[in-house]
Amino acid sequence: MKFFLMGLAVAATAMTFANSAQAECGDVSVAEMNWASAELIANIDKIILEKGYDCNVELVPGATVTTFTSMNEKGQPDVAGELWTNSFAAPLEAAIAEGRIHAVNAAPITGLGDGWWVGPKTAAAYPEITKDINALLARPDLFPHPEDPTKGAFVGCPAGWACQLANTSLFRAFEMEKKGWLLIDPGSAAGLDGSMAKAIERGENWLGYYWAPTALIGKYGMVSVDLGPWGGLDNWNNCIVAECDNPKPSSWTHARVNTVVTDRFKKAGGVAVDYLAGRVFPGEVMNDMLVYMQENQASGADAAYTFLAEHEALWRSWVSADAAAKIKASM
Amino acid sequence: MDFFDEFPTLGRDGIREFKKTIDASFRGFSREYGDGLEAFFYPLLKFMVWFERLLINTPWPIILLIMGGAAWLGSRNWWLVGGTVAAFIVIGYFGMWEDTMATLAIISVATIVCISIGIPFGILMARSNRMQSLITPILDVMQTIPSFVYLIPVVMLLGIGKVPGLLAVCIYALPPIVRLTNLGIRLVDVDVMEASTAFGANYKQRLWGVQIPLALPNIFAGVNQTIMMALAMVVIASMIGVKGLGVPVLRAISNQYLALGLMNGLAIVALAIIFDRISQQYGKRLQKHLGNSGGNGGEGKRSG
Repeated sequence: MKFFLMGLAVAATAMTFANSAQAECGDVSVAEMNWASAELIANIDKIILEKGYDCNVELVPGATVTTFTSMNEKGQPDVAGELWTNSFAAPLEAAIAEGRIHAVNAAPITGLGDGWWVGPKTAAAYPEITKDINALLARPDLFPHPEDPTKGAFVGCPAGWACQLANTSLFRAFEMEKKGWLLIDPGSAAGLDGSMAKAIERGENWLGYYWAPTALIGKYGMVSVDLGPWGGLDNWNNCIVAECDNPKPSSWTHARVNTVVTDRFKKAGGVAVDYLAGRVFPGEVMNDMLVYMQENQASGADAAYTFLAEHEALWRSWVSADAAAKIKASM
Repeated sequence: MDFFDEFPTLGRDGIREFKKTIDASFRGFSREYGDGLEAFFYPLLKFMVWFERLLINTPWPIILLIMGGAAWLGSRNWWLVGGTVAAFIVIGYFGMWEDTMATLAIISVATIVCISIGIPFGILMARSNRMQSLITPILDVMQTIPSFVYLIPVVMLLGIGKVPGLLAVCIYALPPIVRLTNLGIRLVDVDVMEASTAFGANYKQRLWGVQIPLALPNIFAGVNQTIMMALAMVVIASMIGVKGLGVPVLRAISNQYLALGLMNGLAIVALAIIFDRISQQYGKRLQKHLGNSGGNGGEGKRSG
């Protein structure tokens, strides 16, 4: 009997070995963040890692700070595809320095971040205003304020959002009030989205704050305005996003977005980690996918298959020919 | 068996098409008529901007005087006058004067708009049962539909700012004045109506000489409710870019600023209480006058 049990244990161990040998990278948990672009990335990662690299992927729901904390403390989940790290730069750096977390990809999506945007028609008609902030500020007449048409309207950030302070400071730094502009508080996300959608749908000029990658930016083909040179970290941290008496003009702070993995997966993942380090979504592609997701009310999984079908050249460049063939075969 | 387990639906694609069609047709409507609607509301916008500037630019002692005077005219009660002035002094002292004036401006305009639309509709409803059965469900929708739902089309049509804010407020605040005007007129005693007909009064004379005066207490209750509900919408209106006390409340909500939220919330409450007491006292005085001269109001009915 004893021998029989031992034999069973040995057999079980052998089977486990066989399994892990077959699945090179083993079990991987991937954080599926609660916004559309991260949802999409997580689902694409899941398909590619499973089909191309024989991983067993489990998607775990997540949010920025909670996911980071869990990865840092518990080593779970293994991968966060699109982690916005501006708000917890110091703890992240500490975790990286201690080797618990690795930032393998510093730019999973290009062209992302906050900024000031104008509609495509406006940008085409007055190309100079998107390239030179002073040219834009000299034309408040292009963006008449509904309540006072002699002034230009700049739609800022809804009351209470972190970006509200930054926009108010930049509004002051560029001396926009003196140049004939008024800052509008749209009041809510719905107000901000609605004011942009309404203006662009009607072919009116619109200038305001927004961020990419988002469905709205992609849907309306919004063009970002060049705010000029970066005014320095001190100006940004102690003046623009804090209240101060004389903020200096500055471009928007660089949004730091990373693909981060845990130490365990970095060591065990092998080529799968190389894939995560190399996959970069061009901003336009991501915006288009977000528009697709919004218009079809598609889930991240649905959109991931659409992405794989429509952007084959792109994802083929991220994976080895062998993996690409396996992914293609599975579709 | 499947039929009984799963509710038969239009299907995912069908529902999506259905939603897309509605969205697309609304977008088409907005493109076609949005500019026209904006032009239609432009005089109203001008008036609201003017009125807000007037309130903000008037020196504060004059506003205090006007508020105290209004309280006295409405209530003839020194306590209320004192309370009103004190409330405004506290509001000003805590730096909420401008926001309060902006809120006061939109509430006043909303109340005027609601009264001038609501009372005629109430009269219309009282005139025929068919009108009543037609308008009542519309009022039900206006009162119960979540305001966020109609904020989307309103913003798509008119953008953000004062006019869409006013529209959102009025959709919510209009029903009570319509309902209570209707109710007030319908509650006028049949005997009184018979008597006035016997004296040879025509429809107009009966309406303006008998029904409306007798319904006034109810109509005033409606006005009071309309003001209250308009004030309740201040924060929602701020979500589509209306200036006023709602903006700091929103800021407080998203940042957990307890004190800021409480201060501005209480300022809204103070405005509400002041308006409520003044209009209620005024309504009561109207009733008292009726009771003195006619003696055929509520009491007469009860004894008979």
